[in-house]
Amino acid sequence: MTENEQASERVLGDPIVITDDVKKWFGDFQALSGVTATVREREVVVIIGPSGSGKSTYIRCINRLEAHQEGTIIVDGIELTNDIKNVEKVRSEVGMVFQQFNLFPHLTVLDNVTLAPQWVRKEPKAEAEEFGMGLLEQMGIPEQALKYPGQLSGGQQQRVAIARSLAMKPKIMLFDEPTSALDPEMIKEVLDVMKELALSGMTMMVVTHEMGFASQVADRVLFFDYGIIVEEGTPEHFFTNPQHDRTKLFLSQIL
Amino acid sequence: MTVQVREHQKTPLWRNGTVLKWTAQIIVLIGVVALFVTLASTAFGNFERSDITFGWTWLSNPTGVQIREGIDVLPDSGAKAILVGIVNTLRVAISGIFVATILGTLIGVARLSSNWILNKMATVYIEIIRNIPLLVQIFFWAALGRGLPDLTVDDVGVYWFKASSRGFGLSWIFPAGGFWPWLIFVIVGIVAARYVAKRRMAHQEETGQPGHGGWFGLLTVLVFAAVGWFAWPILAFMEPILDAISDFILNIPPVLVPVTIAAIAVVSAGLWIRNFFDSRRTPAGFGKMTDDDWFRVIFAGLSGLVVAALAFVIGGFAIQTVGGETLTVAELLLKAFSNFFGWLAGSFSPDSVDGRLNSVRTGGPLVFERPEVILRGTAQLPQFGQTGMVITIPFFALWTGVTLYTASFIAEIVRGGVLAVPKGQTEASQAVGFTRSQYLRLIILPQAFRIILPPLGNQYLNLAKNTSLGLAVAYADIVAVGFTILNQTGQSLPVVLIWMAFFLTMSLTISAIVNHYNRKMMLVER
Repeated sequence: MTENEQASERVLGDPIVITDDVKKWFGDFQALSGVTATVREREVVVIIGPSGSGKSTYIRCINRLEAHQEGTIIVDGIELTNDIKNVEKVRSEVGMVFQQFNLFPHLTVLDNVTLAPQWVRKEPKAEAEEFGMGLLEQMGIPEQALKYPGQLSGGQQQRVAIARSLAMKPKIMLFDEPTSALDPEMIKEVLDVMKELALSGMTMMVVTHEMGFASQVADRVLFFDYGIIVEEGTPEHFFTNPQHDRTKLFLSQIL
Repeated sequence: MTVQVREHQKTPLWRNGTVLKWTAQIIVLIGVVALFVTLASTAFGNFERSDITFGWTWLSNPTGVQIREGIDVLPDSGAKAILVGIVNTLRVAISGIFVATILGTLIGVARLSSNWILNKMATVYIEIIRNIPLLVQIFFWAALGRGLPDLTVDDVGVYWFKASSRGFGLSWIFPAGGFWPWLIFVIVGIVAARYVAKRRMAHQEETGQPGHGGWFGLLTVLVFAAVGWFAWPILAFMEPILDAISDFILNIPPVLVPVTIAAIAVVSAGLWIRNFFDSRRTPAGFGKMTDDDWFRVIFAGLSGLVVAALAFVIGGFAIQTVGGETLTVAELLLKAFSNFFGWLAGSFSPDSVDGRLNSVRTGGPLVFERPEVILRGTAQLPQFGQTGMVITIPFFALWTGVTLYTASFIAEIVRGGVLAVPKGQTEASQAVGFTRSQYLRLIILPQAFRIILPPLGNQYLNLAKNTSLGLAVAYADIVAVGFTILNQTGQSLPVVLIWMAFFLTMSLTISAIVNHYNRKMMLVER
């Protein structure tokens, strides 16, 4: 499959995110009903599914923005429990990009990118700024460094958000519908950056509705519904030969 | 294809938006001025017919007013009595604002806390305090204070803290001889501390190691304060210098006072206009001025000229002082400045002249005192003595009332401000690994502060104005003192004018400070 050539060139490493029978309730609503999955180093996993299927909740459990109630989550050898120190350690190694960007509006773009490295990683300011400028260049927006988030377009803001996460030199990147709040013409600039990131060997878990991205970049696609993984497999399996009726129905509705 | 303009003729005046706008501005301005002139002339005409003459001589005349507490309980003139009232009002307003802010913030944060007990306690506090009228609460605290045991002969002695129906005696630190020279050491220390803190922050940025700028700064101030404690007499050389300044001011020709004020008014109006023009200048060239812009420029220029003219008129007013001299306002101002420097010079002398300070509070620049209950007067009644801080029951009732009341509103404002910061900000901060205290300090509070500031300013204004309720418990604030004078002299209009001028000045000052911070904190948006 020519489309997936880039993905297959990456050599996958050891398991880095392990989730086993993860369950989560919001009040009496069960959002996750036992999710078991393993992500390996340098792997790009795309998570799709209808809204309310628990896919966002699942990746928000990976860095404990939501606390799971049953099952185990192990990230880079650290089990996520009530231990605050472990949670902080995991968070400093897992970057996250949100649908609504969530940039800090009172700080310049460069400060957005360099604040966490200085306070969390205790990096010297000059070093953090040099690295931050490098990231902004990589994102194609070095000239915006001294502006405030409110002065940028949505696509630019989302690229700043990606740079902010990368500034912490994470081992894993989580993307929670990164393009859903963007105008169509801005989606491409963000997806291009994400593709580049995937090529560079970053471990990525991406919740998205961009099927093009899934088929080109993903190593594996997980299809969520009612809080469980209904079907998983390579993109070619998934898009050409889905097994479950629910998956077929979903694909027929969006493609 | 050419576009056909259906009607092409000169716009008649009554349809010209620009002309209409300008006419409206001018008519409103003339109307407002005319209204005030009519009201004033009617009022004064009526006063004249009813043989009431209003004037300001009571300001300098001796009064028999006795004030229950303050910097001078037997003021020698009306002006001094008013001043005592002003200081009493400011005491409540300033300390109340300070404490209400801290208390309100703590309660507001407690109400956001996930700690159930803390949360409910804060809720109960807010719901009780803000739903009972302030006046009732002030009466409550007064009743509580008056219900304390009275002082008796058995109570004579020195205390750390003494509560009684005559008030609360607190141990307190007071300035003593050498305070002002010592303060200079402390101020120099603060300047040095800022430098040290900046160096430490630079160190932190270079190396990434925590710089502890705050702690180093504090240490610097403490070192300077400690040195100054013993070294302040070496500043005695300042005494002749300050005396010379005092003499010099007295020799300035009085005409220079209105000239200076007028010059400042005209220059600042000019600068404002220049800045305004600058703000309309874009890189592409000079922006188009709207009619409103021009009106603002003209208004600024006119008000500069009016202030300048008023400076000459008011500066020439002759006023009789308590001593019987007749001085113009300009001369009086010079004399006040001269006296201030003379007094400052005296306090730099190693053998400081302030009798009360020397007799009661000797020692270093600051002195720690404990309250004492003594028997006073021929009747040998037990009372608080001169030492320590004595909080009277009226002060206690008013201060506690306005502070707790305002704190409950500030708590709600703080809670609202923090809640108004989107949840995504917390999540993004957690996702990049900030600890709770880090993201509260660096991300959430700076954003919440912007939202909190304007309503917080309103609460400060409310607190300042609510101090006038002190009249109900006979607290000697400016309203109560003014009322006494009004009853004695019958000068209702001047007293009311002074009240209005005072509260207006205080409120506008608070507004100006809050607005200044508000502008500084504004978010940059597209």
